[in-house]
Amino acid sequence: MRGRPQLSRTVGLPIATAVMLCVLWQIIVTANGIPEYILPAPFDVGRTLLASLPNLLAHASISGTEAVAAFLLATLLGFVAAAVLTYSPLLRDIFYPAIVGFQLIPKVALAPLFIVWLGTESASRITFATFLSFFPVLISTLTGLQNADPTAVRLCRSLTASDWQTLVSVRIPFSLPYFLSATKVAATLAVTGIVVAEFITANAGLGFLILSSGPRMETLTIFAAIFMLCIVGLSLYGTVALLERAGRRWFTGA
Amino acid sequence: MTSGVPSDPDAAFVRVNDVAKIYDTGKMTIEAIAKADFEVAKGQFVAVLGPSGCGKSTLLMMCAGLESITTGTIMIAGQPMRGPRTSVGVMFQDSMLLPWKNVLENVLFPIRILRRPRSEYIDRAHALIELVGLTGFEDKRPHELSGGMRQRVAICRALIYDPDILLMDEPFSALDAITRDEMNDALLDIWQRYTKTALFVTHSIREAVLLADRVLVMTNRPSTIIEDVTIPFVRPRTNEISETPEFMQICSYLRSLIEQGHGRGRQNPGTRATVRKSRVVQGTGR
Repeated sequence: MRGRPQLSRTVGLPIATAVMLCVLWQIIVTANGIPEYILPAPFDVGRTLLASLPNLLAHASISGTEAVAAFLLATLLGFVAAAVLTYSPLLRDIFYPAIVGFQLIPKVALAPLFIVWLGTESASRITFATFLSFFPVLISTLTGLQNADPTAVRLCRSLTASDWQTLVSVRIPFSLPYFLSATKVAATLAVTGIVVAEFITANAGLGFLILSSGPRMETLTIFAAIFMLCIVGLSLYGTVALLERAGRRWFTGA
Repeated sequence: MTSGVPSDPDAAFVRVNDVAKIYDTGKMTIEAIAKADFEVAKGQFVAVLGPSGCGKSTLLMMCAGLESITTGTIMIAGQPMRGPRTSVGVMFQDSMLLPWKNVLENVLFPIRILRRPRSEYIDRAHALIELVGLTGFEDKRPHELSGGMRQRVAICRALIYDPDILLMDEPFSALDAITRDEMNDALLDIWQRYTKTALFVTHSIREAVLLADRVLVMTNRPSTIIEDVTIPFVRPRTNEISETPEFMQICSYLRSLIEQGHGRGRQNPGTRATVRKSRVVQGTGR
């Protein structure tokens, strides 16, 4: 962290910008008399938010829980898969091209397949979101594990360290910055994955609320739900970012 | 480990027999080392001197069991090197401290890998840290240390598990000249207390003459050892010997050998004769 004066700038300035944008939005809506079902004013969104808070929170907790589950699964599986591929050149040669191939296809398009295969319960939504956020973790961690300082690996070899010891005491710590950056991407993708899956299958959750409010022209509810979604996404991302910073501090001691 | 050490103290501790290294890239073969053949007695400090890229680091890594040997054999303590061994300590060009560990934990890193009881080595770690003048820095992280301090920690790490021989791959080449002098003094000091067999690779003539009992001169690729020069100065040594005319004479002789190896400079028989004579007069000084 730099000094205190920087904090007011890094935190205060973005908040001021957000407030200014809301004010501008309110002025445009009121001045032009834009109807509520097209674009509700922020003030009205806030009122709806407060009025239907229990309902929104219920939906948000469903989406949030599923997103967190998907995020944890994706980071765990991505990490383990990366460790396995690092130590098995054969498996790496078999799977790596497929993994890179998967990176290139728009995975969101596969969402309906997960419903066909796994049904309409939360298991299929979590699996889809895991699938979406797994690849960045795998690829980034794999890069980190393989890019561990060659001299450090040689040092371990000179000490007759086993593969496992080298993995645990040198490769994993060196890959940590790569892994941590990937978890931030995974946090965003996990929320995206849950919302997309909820668009297709759910009868609850914020994605369902947004989709079902559309045909009824309940634009206010859509905005309130989007706001809640932002809160869910930001909380998950924020938590991960804080952990990432702690991890980096541990790594360098800075 | 001691079972393999020859009982005869004069017997060679390291025996490098007709070692060659050829890299096969598939499309072409590169002959890195044509022939290396030498011995190092127990307790002796031998420097391998040569220009950059002459394969001297490769030779050292083969001695460490970290690089395969194309032909020939390397015996350490009477046993052929087929892979890394805990009786052989290695120091690299880069200090390679782990950034997430403090000084003490970096020094104790080999103990953790070797699964030896940590409590038995704590005192030794502190003693080594004191010897290199880093007492009070035990809790510091590598990024808080200067380059010279980091190499001091690396020396402690190489000595903590008490290997019988220390292999050093240009450990001070990344340091500035002043720090390098300090490190050479520190190494001489450590040598005085923990006499170990050592193989030290360097491209600095001055460093080789200052530290070693013998200097092996290597030529460019495909390299061979063209000369084995005994350095006559008695121990304990300090940096001050580098001011003496004899020191400078040996240095210029070594320089002429290296230039010969490059195929440019010309041999100076006068210098050669003088050094030969000084070797005879002063003996090895050990």
